[in-house]
Amino acid sequence: MLHLIKLEWLKVKNYRTFWIIFILYLIGIIGANYITHEIQGMIWGAEAKKNPSSAMLKFILGNPPYSFPQVWQMVAQTSSYLLIIPGLLTVILFTNEYSYKTHRQNLIDGLTRYEFISSKILTVIIISLISTLLVGVTALAFGYTGDKPLSFERLLFIGYSFIQSLNYCFFALLISVLFRRSGISIGVYFIYVVILEFVLFFVFKRYVYNTGYFLPVESADGLISAPLFERGQKEFFPKPEVKYILMTCIGYIALYLLIIYRKFKTDDL
Amino acid sequence: MNTVLSLKGISKRYGRIQALNNVSFDVPPGCVFGILGPNGSGKTTLLGIILDILKPTAGSFELMGQPPSADVRKGIGTLLETPNFFHYLSGERNLRINASIKGKGYGDIDAVLEKVNLHQRKKSKFSTYSLGMKQRLAIAAALLGNPDVLIFDEPTNGLDPVGIAEIRELIKKLASEGKTIIMASHLLDEVEKVCTHVAILKKGELLAAGHVDEVLVNEDIVEVSASDLNRLEQLLKNMNGFSGIQRHDNNVQLFYPMGTAKLDEVNQYCFNNGVVLNHLQLKKKSLESKFFELTGKVSDR
Repeated sequence: MLHLIKLEWLKVKNYRTFWIIFILYLIGIIGANYITHEIQGMIWGAEAKKNPSSAMLKFILGNPPYSFPQVWQMVAQTSSYLLIIPGLLTVILFTNEYSYKTHRQNLIDGLTRYEFISSKILTVIIISLISTLLVGVTALAFGYTGDKPLSFERLLFIGYSFIQSLNYCFFALLISVLFRRSGISIGVYFIYVVILEFVLFFVFKRYVYNTGYFLPVESADGLISAPLFERGQKEFFPKPEVKYILMTCIGYIALYLLIIYRKFKTDDL
Repeated sequence: MNTVLSLKGISKRYGRIQALNNVSFDVPPGCVFGILGPNGSGKTTLLGIILDILKPTAGSFELMGQPPSADVRKGIGTLLETPNFFHYLSGERNLRINASIKGKGYGDIDAVLEKVNLHQRKKSKFSTYSLGMKQRLAIAAALLGNPDVLIFDEPTNGLDPVGIAEIRELIKKLASEGKTIIMASHLLDEVEKVCTHVAILKKGELLAAGHVDEVLVNEDIVEVSASDLNRLEQLLKNMNGFSGIQRHDNNVQLFYPMGTAKLDEVNQYCFNNGVVLNHLQLKKKSLESKFFELTGKVSDR
């Protein structure tokens, strides 16, 4: 396993495109949370000045979102909007191999097909780990700026963040294995994740009661809802229990991996 | 190990196109084996199957007397179709990837770059290389770890005449070191110059396989005639130096290995033995016409 990681490292170490996007993504995690933090701070601050024990405030915002313990959930949720970027990186890293035909060369040189695809899967896991780690650290940092004492009550959401990231990236890997070309893979991935699934979500909501949460990407997003408007959310978007969503999400990840391995094992490359 | 490669009934079908049809042949160790065929005859498909890039529709094969596996491939140096490298990495860093997959250290890298005259540009990005340099890098990659078996698919593609000559020399040198080389080419001349064995493919059909001298018999034909053909034939049969004799309706053909036929000696011999020739002609059969003759067969069917 270690030699596969080393091999991937040789491939990305001097790949500037990868590092620029990856570092901007990591900065993006901090930036997106900073923006949300500032906006909510303004709303909360203004409202709190008018009426310190505002029922309205509690209704809309719940407790202050960037304080412990909500901060774990809040940062995980805010950061999740950026998960399409690790997905993009996954597509780039994989379709590059097809463009340069280096996947062929790797096999010719003596890698098994299983090892090759595993090296990509390991890369995805590492990218997700780094990303999750930063989400955790960001949450901790913002938590300390809040006015509540340190609490790990909602730390579980950081774990969900990892699973969510795996879902996004493995879905991207699946699309790349199926389409092979970078342009079309990126196009299909973005259009599905950004637009198509939301369309499906509302179609499902309308015609098949509340099953939209079991769609591939939605099953990941459904793990972490914003700790805001929680009552409103319950009213308009009643959700299945998280454990069912979690099982679905993990089920999808397993399914992606199964198809990826099967497809790559038998394809002409 | 009796064979380096043994193909048993390999077929490959892409939809309605039969790229390979029941191809079987053996590659003995220590030979330079040419796979010859026009463009689109299935050469690269065949090599792709051997290297697990493509899956055969039917048939099986053995590499080094074993069922194919990734570990066997590690001991084979290969250049398949095009140079396959990361454009954003330097030649040297690309070779590190190859070396690390083959389980070899980086120690060889400088030496193989030196061998293909690419050492000075090793720090340049692959994307800045000319076509010929890319090809050289691919050959360098194949040489990593000093493998006993090399597979080259159109190795002189994109090289200038000097480069072509250099690569031919390199291949000859590798062959003289006892390495087995399997080489696909559509250039007859290339195969003729470096190969000891050859297999000829046309539209996925194997037309012939074996020693170059047997498959691409390249010989001088001396056509002679006299008023008494029977006597002439008897006489010639006692003469030395030719490899075959054939009686035709109005002449006798003598076959000589290329370049060894001497018309004056034939004439002298017949005259000394009391037969006067009324026809004496040297006919050259070029490799080219032999190749067209061979590959023409399928299209005529």
